Amino acid sequence: MTSAPDTPLVHVRDLRVAFESREPGVATVAAVNGVDFDLAPRETLCILGESGSGKSVTLRALMRLNPARTTRMSGTVRVAGQDIASASEAQMTAVRGRSVAMIFQEPMTALDPVFSIGTQIAETVRRHEGIDRAAARRRALQLLELVQVPSAARRLDAYPHELSGGLRQRAMIAMALSCRPRLLLADEPTTALDATVQIQVLLLLRELQREMGMGLIFVTHDLGVASEVADRIAVMYAGRFVEEAGVSDFLRQPMHPYAQGLLGATVHAGSRGRPLVTIAGAPPRLDRLPAGCAFAARCDRVMPACLDAMPALAAAGADRSARCLLVTPPRTALAA
Amino acid sequence: MPTNHAAHLPPLPDLGGPAQPLLSVRHLTKHFALAGRGLRRSRDVVRAVDDLGFDLRKGETLGIVGESGCGKSTTSRLIMSLLAPTAGEIVFDGQVVGGRALPMKDYRRQVQMVFQDSHASLNPRLSIENAIAFAPQVHGLARRDALARAHELLDAVGLAPAQFGARFPHQLSGGQRQRVNIARALALRPRLLILDEPVSALDKSVEAQVLNLLVDLKARYGLSYLFISHDLNVVQYMADRVLVMYLGKVAEVGAVDAIYGRPAHPYTAALLASRPSMDPARRRTRPPLQGDPPNPIDPPSGCRFRTRCAHAEAVCAAQEPALAVLAGGHAAACLMNAPGSGHRAAPVRRVEAARVLA
Repeated sequence: MTSAPDTPLVHVRDLRVAFESREPGVATVAAVNGVDFDLAPRETLCILGESGSGKSVTLRALMRLNPARTTRMSGTVRVAGQDIASASEAQMTAVRGRSVAMIFQEPMTALDPVFSIGTQIAETVRRHEGIDRAAARRRALQLLELVQVPSAARRLDAYPHELSGGLRQRAMIAMALSCRPRLLLADEPTTALDATVQIQVLLLLRELQREMGMGLIFVTHDLGVASEVADRIAVMYAGRFVEEAGVSDFLRQPMHPYAQGLLGATVHAGSRGRPLVTIAGAPPRLDRLPAGCAFAARCDRVMPACLDAMPALAAAGADRSARCLLVTPPRTALAA
Repeated sequence: MPTNHAAHLPPLPDLGGPAQPLLSVRHLTKHFALAGRGLRRSRDVVRAVDDLGFDLRKGETLGIVGESGCGKSTTSRLIMSLLAPTAGEIVFDGQVVGGRALPMKDYRRQVQMVFQDSHASLNPRLSIENAIAFAPQVHGLARRDALARAHELLDAVGLAPAQFGARFPHQLSGGQRQRVNIARALALRPRLLILDEPVSALDKSVEAQVLNLLVDLKARYGLSYLFISHDLNVVQYMADRVLVMYLGKVAEVGAVDAIYGRPAHPYTAALLASRPSMDPARRRTRPPLQGDPPNPIDPPSGCRFRTRCAHAEAVCAAQEPALAVLAGGHAAACLMNAPGSGHRAAPVRRVEAARVLA
C-alpha cells in the first residue's frame, strides 16, 4: 500500500452527499452536509445517530455504494491511500472487498438466497485472488472457523435460510473478511440480533479487528453497543458530526446539547423511578435545512447567534471537538 | 379529567377487589402446525407457548422479556384472542374469557393492545380522529360523542386535536403514530393495555417521550400494563414484576428488583450479563452464552435451556423443572433451585427451603 504507517487509514474532508430526485418538483435531500474525520489504522470509530442522521450514507460513501444515478457526492475521501471520489469503477471494484469491506444490518437480505454460504465466500476469494475452486473452498472453511461457526465444514453447504440469525451474521462477517481488508465498515450489524447473540457478535468483531489489525467504522443508534466497541465516538445530527470524542470522555461528559439529550434519553439501570430526559420535537427535514445550527429548534439553551450560521466543529479540549457555540464560543472557534 | 362522556361509555367495574388478579393465564398452550397438506402434512408443531401460567395484578406493569421465538408475542396475541389457544384458559378479573359471564365483545372493551409497527397497525385510509373514534362507535357511541372522545384522547397523548385530528397516518412521524395507537387503545376505557414492543421501532429520544407518556397515562387512567420487550433496560424502567420466557415457557418470574438484582435462573443471569456494559473500562470479555436459542419445533428434553446452560447436568435432560418459589418473592424453573431435584447445586432438604421462605 502507498500509505506510510503514520498516515490515516481513512481521511475524509468536507464530505457532502445529496440525493436528487428525478421527478420534477421533488426537493434534493441533503443527507450528509460536511463531514470531516480521520481514522488511524487499527482504530474503531463509532458513528452514533438516529434514523435519518446520515450515518449509513456516510458509511456507504466510503465505498461509493450510494446509488450512482441519484447521488451527488463532493469532498475528499481517501481510504488506504486510494482517492475514492475520483476512482474509476474498475478501481472501485478492486478497492471493494480488498481494502474495504462492509457488513450490513440484515444478513438475510445481504446474502444471496440461492447460493450456499460456502459458494458465496469462495466466489469473493476467487474474484480477488484468482485461486482455484478447491483452494477457495478451503479458504471459505478457514474463514467460517475464524468467525467461530460451529461444525463449519457442514455449514459450508448451508443456504442462508437454513442458518440462525447469529450464524448468518457470522457468515457475512466471514465474507467481508475473506480478502483481509484494512478497513471494515459495519452498518448496525447487531441491531437485528437477540441480546445474547448480539454480545457474541460484538466480542467476535472486537477480537477479529485486533487479530487482523483492521480499522473499523461502526454505525449504530445504540449507545451501549458503541460503549462496548468504540475507541472514539462521533455523534451525527442532520448530516453533520456535532461531537467527536474518545469513548470514555464522551460517556463521562457529553458536550453538545443533542449528545447530552441522547445520553439522558437512553434508558439504563439507574433510570427507574424518574422521568426520562427527552428531546422535544423532531429532527429537521433534510430537504430544507436551516441556515444556523440544525439542532437549534429543539435546543433548550438556544441563543440568537445559533440561528445565524452553523457553528464550526471546533476543538473542545484534549482530543475532542464539538459543534456548539456554548462549548466553543465564536472567538475560540476562530482561533482553532 | 372531565368524564362528560361517561354516560355513553361508562368505566368498567372492578369485580373481585384488589387482591384478585386482573388477568390469570392458566396452562396456556399454542402449537402451530407446520405447513403441508394431506399426505404431506407434517406432524411437527412449533411449540410457541407451552403450558404457560402467570398472574397480572391490578394496577401493576408486568414485563415479559425473552429472545425472538420465546413466545412472548404469541402470548400477547393469545391474551387478545387474536389467536385461539391449543389448550389452557385466560381468566379476566375472575371471569373466564369467552365464557357466559364475559363474552368476547365485553372482554375486548377491557383489554386493548399497542403493536410494535405503528404504521402497519393503523388504517391508512382513516384520519387519525376517525381511527380513534371507530371502536367507540362500534360499541354504541354516537359519532359526535366518539369524535369528542377522540379529541380528548389526542390531547391526552400530547397531539393537539385541531392540528393533528384530520391527518392521515402517513403524515405523522413514527413517534406520533405510536401516540395515536396508544390513544386508540384507550378509546374504550380499557383496564389492561398489552404493549407489544411499543418503543422498539422508535429512535432513542422518541422512545423516552413515549415511555414517559405511558407512565403518565397509567397513573391518570388507573391502568394495568402487560409490557413486552426484548430490551431489558426498558423493562427494568417500566415493570413492577418481570416474567422471563425461554422457548415458550416461564424461566423466572418475580419483582423487578429480585429479577435484576438476584437472578435465580441461569438464563436470566445470562440475559442480564449480555447487556452492553455502558462503561468502556469494564467491557465484557466473554459472551455469557454461546449460540442461538434452539428451534422451538424440537425443544430439548427436560429443561429447555440445558443445551446452552453452563450448569447443566444429566438430570436436567431427564426432568423438566417446575417453577419453584424462592426467597424474595420470585420463582424460577431451574433444578438448581428445586430441593431434592438431584442437581448438585440444589438445596438438600425441603425443611431448609421452608426456613428460608419463612
